[in-house]
Amino acid sequence: MGVIATSATVLAALGVGAALTWALERLFLQPRGEPGPAHTADLGRNLDIANSDRWLLPAGPVVALAGVALAMVVVPFGPDLIGRDLGIGVFYVIVVIDFVVLGVALAGWGADTPDSVEACYRIIAQLIAYVVPLGLAYVGVIMMARSLSTVAIVEAQSGLWFVVLQPIGFVLYLVTGLMQSYRAPFLEPFAVSIGGGVLGASGGWSALLWRIALAGVLFLVAAICAVLYLGGPNGPLLPGWAWMVVKTYGLMALMLWLGRAVRPLSTARMLELSWKILIPLGLLNVLLVGGIILLGIGPSRP
Amino acid sequence: MPGTSTSPILSDYGFVALVLVMTFGLALIAAGLFLRAPRQWISAPPAWAQFRFGFVNYALIFLAFDMEMIFMYPWAVVFADIGISAFLDMLVFIALLGAGITYAWGMGGLEWE
Repeated sequence: MGVIATSATVLAALGVGAALTWALERLFLQPRGEPGPAHTADLGRNLDIANSDRWLLPAGPVVALAGVALAMVVVPFGPDLIGRDLGIGVFYVIVVIDFVVLGVALAGWGADTPDSVEACYRIIAQLIAYVVPLGLAYVGVIMMARSLSTVAIVEAQSGLWFVVLQPIGFVLYLVTGLMQSYRAPFLEPFAVSIGGGVLGASGGWSALLWRIALAGVLFLVAAICAVLYLGGPNGPLLPGWAWMVVKTYGLMALMLWLGRAVRPLSTARMLELSWKILIPLGLLNVLLVGGIILLGIGPSRP
Repeated sequence: MPGTSTSPILSDYGFVALVLVMTFGLALIAAGLFLRAPRQWISAPPAWAQFRFGFVNYALIFLAFDMEMIFMYPWAVVFADIGISAFLDMLVFIALLGAGITYAWGMGGLEWE
């Protein structure tokens, strides 16, 4: 495949993944619960906002979508079905996914309405809550796989999935993944009480881009979880991409279901949860995984 | 990429750049699709002012912890090859981190103000 065809395929995979995510989320919507962030943006009309910044406001959704699309490059959907196997794989994912936060912050500040500026502050607080425990969950996987590359991580799990060896890391990833994808219990930046935050200040094309980006980020978080803990495209009988899709949407359903079962947390409570429980747990997980590796359990040297 | 003489790093990140450019193209197409959509004027009071945000202490501690987490990545890649000495090194590092977070907690740093 040519380079251009491959990159178009990466974007198409993101689009299809986001659309399916949006459909799956509809199933989990509760009649009186808050809709997910991808469900409130109004596609019907373009908005002109009185004091908005000319460049920052439209830059927001583009930056967010770019972050999601870039992260999509390294997700393996099969032995050869991958945009590019960058050597720094998962580290690159951690970095580029955070562009979603940058996008929301840009648009929130740029729209210059009280609600959207509030959303800008809330999303930065959310970043401060999730990055460190999420990174610690990644570290455990990298220690066992001896590599940052997503392909190498999948290969290292050909014998045994890491979810069996690192259950604490898996739970840590699920919780921080919900924070990272702004789904229930952690949807403060897009809460109905502040009019959807940035989404309330978007309409028409920017609403469309927000929907793709915010559905795509949940899709990516679940896909990366499948790669890190469930062996990615490995599996019997079915082809790799089918396993990847099954695992991704299975994880997504699990995350949405678990998230809906908990009362939404305020930003302050979320920061407390992260720094007082998740980060100590993450440090403990790194030590435990190190001990397991020293005992000789885990994938053997290739 | 077979058949080319460019370095793998250049072709890999060239691909990343291409995806980036195509994303911008996608955004332009989306903007084009909605050119004729109805427009709505929203007037809201301006909000660019100095805010008192409640997570100042968290943000400062976060800066330190985020950098220290980055240091763990190269260590994690080579951990299994080096073995016990790498583990002991990291034990010291994590003990320091743990002491740091305990200190911040004890001083009331992990509070929403």
